[in-house]
Amino acid sequence: MSVNTTNHKAKYVDPVGKSVPRIDGLGMVTGQTKYAFDVSFPNMLIGKMLRSPHPHAKIISIDTSEAEKLPGVRAVVTAKDTHNIKFGSNEYFFPHTIDQMAIEAEKVRYVGDELGAVAAVDEETADKALKLIKVEYEKLPHVVDVEEAMKPGSPLIHESLNNIAVILPVNFGNPDRTMKEADYVREDKFYAPAAHQSAMEPHVCVGQWETFSNKVTLWASSQAPFKCREALAKTLKMDLNDVRVIKMAVGGGFGGKLEMLPMDFAACMLSKKAGGLPVKICYNREEEFLASRRKHGMIYRIKSGVKKDGTIVAMTGEVIADGGAYCSYGPTVLAAAIMRIFMVYRLQHFRITGYRVYTNTPISGAMRGFGGVQAGFAIESHMDMLAEGIGMDPVEFRMKNITGPNMTTVNQMKLTTNGLKECIEKACAAADWDKKRGQQKHLKRGIGIGIAADVMGSKMYKSHESAGSIVKVEEDGSVYLFTGAADTGQGSNTALSQIAAHELGVSYSRIKCKSGDTEITPFDTGSFASRVTFISGNATILAARDAKQQVLKVVAEELGVNQEDLDIRAEEVINTSDGSVLMDFDKALTLAYSFNYGRQIIGRGSYNPKTTPIDFRTGEGNVSGSYGFEAQIAEVEVDTDSGEVTILKMWDAHDIGKAINPQSVEGQIEGSLAMGIGYTFLENLHFDKKGRPANGNFAGYRLPRTMGMPEMNSILVETNDPEGPFGAKGMGEASLLPTSAAIANAIEDAIGIRIKELPITPDKIIKALKEKQEGDKS
Amino acid sequence: MTTLNINHKNYELDLKGNETLLEVLRDHLGLTGTKTGCEESECGTCTVTVNGKAVLACITMAAALEGDRIISIEGLAQNEDLHPLQQAFLDKGAVQCGFCIPGFIMSAKALLDQNTAPTREEIDYALDGNLCRCAGYLKIIEAIESAGQQMQAQKDQPQSQEVCS
Repeated sequence: MSVNTTNHKAKYVDPVGKSVPRIDGLGMVTGQTKYAFDVSFPNMLIGKMLRSPHPHAKIISIDTSEAEKLPGVRAVVTAKDTHNIKFGSNEYFFPHTIDQMAIEAEKVRYVGDELGAVAAVDEETADKALKLIKVEYEKLPHVVDVEEAMKPGSPLIHESLNNIAVILPVNFGNPDRTMKEADYVREDKFYAPAAHQSAMEPHVCVGQWETFSNKVTLWASSQAPFKCREALAKTLKMDLNDVRVIKMAVGGGFGGKLEMLPMDFAACMLSKKAGGLPVKICYNREEEFLASRRKHGMIYRIKSGVKKDGTIVAMTGEVIADGGAYCSYGPTVLAAAIMRIFMVYRLQHFRITGYRVYTNTPISGAMRGFGGVQAGFAIESHMDMLAEGIGMDPVEFRMKNITGPNMTTVNQMKLTTNGLKECIEKACAAADWDKKRGQQKHLKRGIGIGIAADVMGSKMYKSHESAGSIVKVEEDGSVYLFTGAADTGQGSNTALSQIAAHELGVSYSRIKCKSGDTEITPFDTGSFASRVTFISGNATILAARDAKQQVLKVVAEELGVNQEDLDIRAEEVINTSDGSVLMDFDKALTLAYSFNYGRQIIGRGSYNPKTTPIDFRTGEGNVSGSYGFEAQIAEVEVDTDSGEVTILKMWDAHDIGKAINPQSVEGQIEGSLAMGIGYTFLENLHFDKKGRPANGNFAGYRLPRTMGMPEMNSILVETNDPEGPFGAKGMGEASLLPTSAAIANAIEDAIGIRIKELPITPDKIIKALKEKQEGDKS
Repeated sequence: MTTLNINHKNYELDLKGNETLLEVLRDHLGLTGTKTGCEESECGTCTVTVNGKAVLACITMAAALEGDRIISIEGLAQNEDLHPLQQAFLDKGAVQCGFCIPGFIMSAKALLDQNTAPTREEIDYALDGNLCRCAGYLKIIEAIESAGQQMQAQKDQPQSQEVCS
């Protein structure tokens, strides 16, 4: 029997809906938690990547002999050690975009491209070895600017015509006809720059090869350990169960740690060549900006026609996404940047064409919001401008056009619960919209709104997007939850443990959670698309339910009662027909593991959402099992002498279905807003003439800090989604989507200027004010 | 040999002289609670205290710290008791990925040891060197304010003063 028995029962509260402490928090505040950065072994070697100094060049020859002779060098890896297999991330939808080699063999396509790696006894020796590798290049003309890259005659980075890896026409109805029927038409061009995920923990891995059995283990900082395993197994030509990826605690990901990188392959291969010694590769901050993943810079042209009553009748446009040297998640990021709008607005006549374009710059991939941040800035700014054009309040204008519950969008997304209207109403009420909008110009204060929606899950693995969970109950009633989901800081281990405890009917304090180890835990596609609470949460419910029924079966047999009449509630097995208490949970477990029964309690759950993948020929598909919504309001004050903008307060009303852990939900909202504020005012990863990050460190690339972080009011709207775990929806990304536009719209309300290029800097404000003054005079 | 006093213990270390405090803590002593985020004094994940002041371990030479009192995140909890800052970070939901948290807690400790009731401006100033990418700072600030109150309450009760020293 557990010594904690009485404690668990005495302390029982239903954990769902409660802000229970994080299951892994204690280790984090005491410094005990081990991240991949902290993994260390005796005789561990340090690995370093050999990077191209040229933005675009043919590799004529590589001579590693001098490096190999250097004392302390244990292994050198080049393209010879690969199986010539490409990897990438959109193989289901866009197989031709699988375009990156684990180690490049023929050509380098950006400064920083990997063409080899070394492992040595220490970092100093590894650095020396890199310098001893002689590479002969044939330099090729290169292109950094995305619009230049699309021009005929530009240097071709891959084989695609005009460097366009993917053209994505999204076309419904007849917008050319309906545009003519509009009372007001306007066209705008927006620019949302490249940015960087900048997780506090840089990319890091440790690879270890087992020489004779030919197995390999990778300790990784990964958002998607099973996707990493799949790419490693493919490029190493091994079976899935010969590759073990162990996700350590992850120091943030934000999309940047979704994929295998060449460093992961290199750590494994270096270890193999070094006779099985473990090899650790740590990115420094400069490499992080240069050779991980980044956010796509996007040019967003959008033209809409509206009726006098506010109805949007047509929308057309074009999106150009600067993809960098390889495709990564680019094609689906582009798709999301175009198609998210259908979740938010009722549109019937629509044509936006997207172009995902190669340039000789660092690789664009996923970053929190997945294209929706760039699109959100463009669309939500444009919406305000349309409203202004017909003299309508921006909130009223949005209310005219938003989606509602139980609605099928033009591209066949099935919106079920939809709290968008309630979110707008609640945010406006909290922010006092009616009193403030347009009423504070004399104070140079303004208020602006942006709205958004998000999926919870999206098919990004090869063939499915399922999650698996195992709930194992020990003889003393303590519970293990095994989940493939990858907690990268968002708190999924906590939320899933709450879900398991609730479904099992026991105290949260009984649960220990093990996540993201491909050899131990069930499969899960990973932490992206705000999917984990929804998809992994449902798998966890099924596993806990299965475990519970196994316990109840023993009790039913022992007492000779109907299993269907039994349940476990608040730590007790009860008979639901009369509400009588039959025994404590602990006693039931003692029984299950007794001599007579000897039954191990191992519950399993597997959940695949009821979705249909998007058909990219038509743009149709019900991509998510449910959809989340939100409205955000910013109030700002502008100093028209300095151009400085102060955010006075932000409000965010979010349809989260049901908050499993309200404090975690608030944490996600506040973190999203902070990231959105950073992208609005500070973050702009730009490139020099050779395509290198011109501000690729934290001194040059400024992130938001405590100073100036405004008060934030999170309003949780609970629509209790019937498909969500206990009504919950995912919500990790939506709050970031409309932030830049809400702020830009507030600035417009305050001082009457419209900024269409992020980031919003004081000099852009001053310039726009001057132009406005000159315009007013003439 | 260099003697360093870390977390109330003396360590005899054979140093070349060019090791940073971060290297000594993490690589020589296995105290990996102090994190490596940028190694260029911009992110604050490596913050420790030296003689009560917040210091970036990535740009501090270890050999120069003989005779100084160095505290890292591992030296904060006394026996089984969490420091009020650690407890407050948990209670207020200030922790997400956790990677920046040791640095924030050490910066905050240096502040609260001097002043248990800092203004928002004083907190902003003390934390200006610490980056967090997950949490948006507000819950961190709330935790620090709450811990300050707790530390003051402990100071006001002489018998439990040891806990927050």
